[in-house]
Amino acid sequence: MAMRRGRPAGTLEFKDVGTHEGPLLVVDDVHTSFRTARGTVRAVDGVSFEVHEGKTLGIVGESGSGKTVLSRSIMGLLPPRDVIRSGTVHFAGHDMTAMEDKELRQVWGAELSMIFQDPMTALNPVKRIGVQICESLRLHLDMDKKEAVSTAVELLRSVGIPSPEERVRWYPFQLSGGMRQRVMIAIALACAPRLVLADEPTTGLDVTVQAQILDLLADLQRERHMAVILVTHDLGVVASRADDIIVMYAGRIVERAPTRTLFSDTKMPYTQALMDSIPRLADPSGARLLAIGGRPPDLINPPQGCRFAPRCPYAQDKCRESDPPLRTVGSPDHLFACWFPLVDGKSTAPSVPVSLSASSSSAAPVAGASDPDPTAEADA
Amino acid sequence: MSEPATTDPTANQDGDIVLDVKDLVVEFKSGRQRVQAVSGVTFQVRQGETLGLVGESGCGKSTTGRTLVQVQAATSGAIVYQGRDLNGMKGKELRQLRTKIQMIFQDPISSLNPRRRIKDIVAEPLVIWKRGTKEERTAKVHEMLDAVGIDAEVAGDRLPGEFSGGQCQRISIARALMADPDLLICDEPVSALDVSVQAQILNLLADLKEKFRLTMVFIAHDLAVVKNVSDRVAVMYLGKLVEVAGSDELYRAAAHPYTEALLASIPEPDPDHASGHKALTGELPSPLNPPSGCRFRTRCPYVQARCAEEEPLLRDVAPGHQVACHFPVGPAAGQVAPTATTADAPTV
Repeated sequence: MAMRRGRPAGTLEFKDVGTHEGPLLVVDDVHTSFRTARGTVRAVDGVSFEVHEGKTLGIVGESGSGKTVLSRSIMGLLPPRDVIRSGTVHFAGHDMTAMEDKELRQVWGAELSMIFQDPMTALNPVKRIGVQICESLRLHLDMDKKEAVSTAVELLRSVGIPSPEERVRWYPFQLSGGMRQRVMIAIALACAPRLVLADEPTTGLDVTVQAQILDLLADLQRERHMAVILVTHDLGVVASRADDIIVMYAGRIVERAPTRTLFSDTKMPYTQALMDSIPRLADPSGARLLAIGGRPPDLINPPQGCRFAPRCPYAQDKCRESDPPLRTVGSPDHLFACWFPLVDGKSTAPSVPVSLSASSSSAAPVAGASDPDPTAEADA
Repeated sequence: MSEPATTDPTANQDGDIVLDVKDLVVEFKSGRQRVQAVSGVTFQVRQGETLGLVGESGCGKSTTGRTLVQVQAATSGAIVYQGRDLNGMKGKELRQLRTKIQMIFQDPISSLNPRRRIKDIVAEPLVIWKRGTKEERTAKVHEMLDAVGIDAEVAGDRLPGEFSGGQCQRISIARALMADPDLLICDEPVSALDVSVQAQILNLLADLKEKFRLTMVFIAHDLAVVKNVSDRVAVMYLGKLVEVAGSDELYRAAAHPYTEALLASIPEPDPDHASGHKALTGELPSPLNPPSGCRFRTRCPYVQARCAEEEPLLRDVAPGHQVACHFPVGPAAGQVAPTATTADAPTV
């Protein structure tokens, strides 16, 4: 407790973060399970990926796909009991999974921070927002009170809160949902972290405010050269903002590709189904949405074979029997887990009902999908 | 009201007007002040159509929805449902009429009593009205749960906590349909759901509307969702309607700068879409102290001097398409509002 103020010398310095070579975050074969009365829930089941300096990764999946547990596993924010975890998370070369709580606390907020979904419950309702922003500034950057307050005002200004000198003394309840989420962003960015994990940062906000918040995050990311992991259930949210997208289903990655490739050359029927379920403005009113039937599987007893098979319109016997590995065809950047990947929006499965393949291909999101340049990265 | 809103809408011209809302005003007390959440809203809903009501949080769309079922009293104005004014109606008469108008709420989980079994929750409207025998009620519960895609045998004895958000919303819909309503008010029924589940519920609502010949008022903040389900859309901003048009017309020829901004803020699942998008700046002004003239002027990219001085009234820019803007955009651009009508401008 003597080390409350400032960074304790010697134990763990993150000075080398800036000079660290290679990917900023390396997640390797992470498994996270919870012991419950009904059995073991395998919420995250073997997930690996990398995030590079300054890049944006989108993680997309339905409720129950394990995306939130994954982001908490990366942060080390899991409950102390009844959790079984394996795999490693290297942040700037340091293994986060091997860190003590004390060490984690030096990383949290300072180098790696998180924006939570619900800004009302994530902010302390009985503390002024200024105090909440100053907390990490004083702890990590060893600022004195005056300096911290003036920095907090600047931060509030940078996230677009009008008259920040006055608002710094306000309580969370005095702010609207969008403003509270801006405060959350200000807190997350206070110590200029290298990586920000945003877990559904705009769910529950109006579409107009959502656009503002996402634009703000993108601007700050450019200015500060941060890496961002954007976790969401809505492919529309990440479509124009992420460099790469991971699609998760039932605790696993089912497709991973550079954003443009994912949309132009979708391989996994689940990704396609997620895209098709979004109502499009360009469609005439009353157009029937291509909803995915059923629900994600129970992660205590996941189905044998491909976990999406029970809901997949193209499922074959092979899909129900054996688990498709995450693999590539052509481009090394484009990974997918499907025995019969889509080609130009059409299934390659041998026996597909005609009506299904017709309805699905007519809803292919991008016309003229051809094999894209493997090195194509969406320009930020 | 001398409102152009009374002209026939493009869609459903043959339908009879089932709901006629005239100059609806809802005020709340805030300390010593009075806040107008709804400041004079006029619209009609025709038999069998779906009217979408869209706007940001705080624009008064939910308050409007709540006055339609009279869980919120209107300060002034009329809500004429099948020839009878609901506003001011009390007691038995209101309770009986209200069975015909049912509401579905935003948060599916908190709108179901967590300690009651699904079959009891769904049967309650019939129990309250003492309709049918126990067997008939059970049969009806099965029928309605079946209609919303819930297996009554399996689900009937369970508690709401055992179901996902999408399933709870299906159960709420089944309950709303138990009393054979004619009009269904849906207040943000899908905004708490995942996009994949949202698509299921929107398709379900479309099917049920057909099956039970329902008329719907669909309230949401996402114009893409509203457009999908609605025949006509009314856009609300700070307690007032700013544009009313057929859904496809609204998308094709948005005339109000606010509608344009709402359309632009929808995230399209297309990586190349972002280029043309401009986010709306700022937030909704406080309804305690609304801006003079046009209420949208503080955030409008095309604001002019006239907008601060004179309130724009809803007027026709095309058949069945009304806008409240002095200087409309899109295909209606150039149809500057005449100044003459404003001398004795009634607050719409």
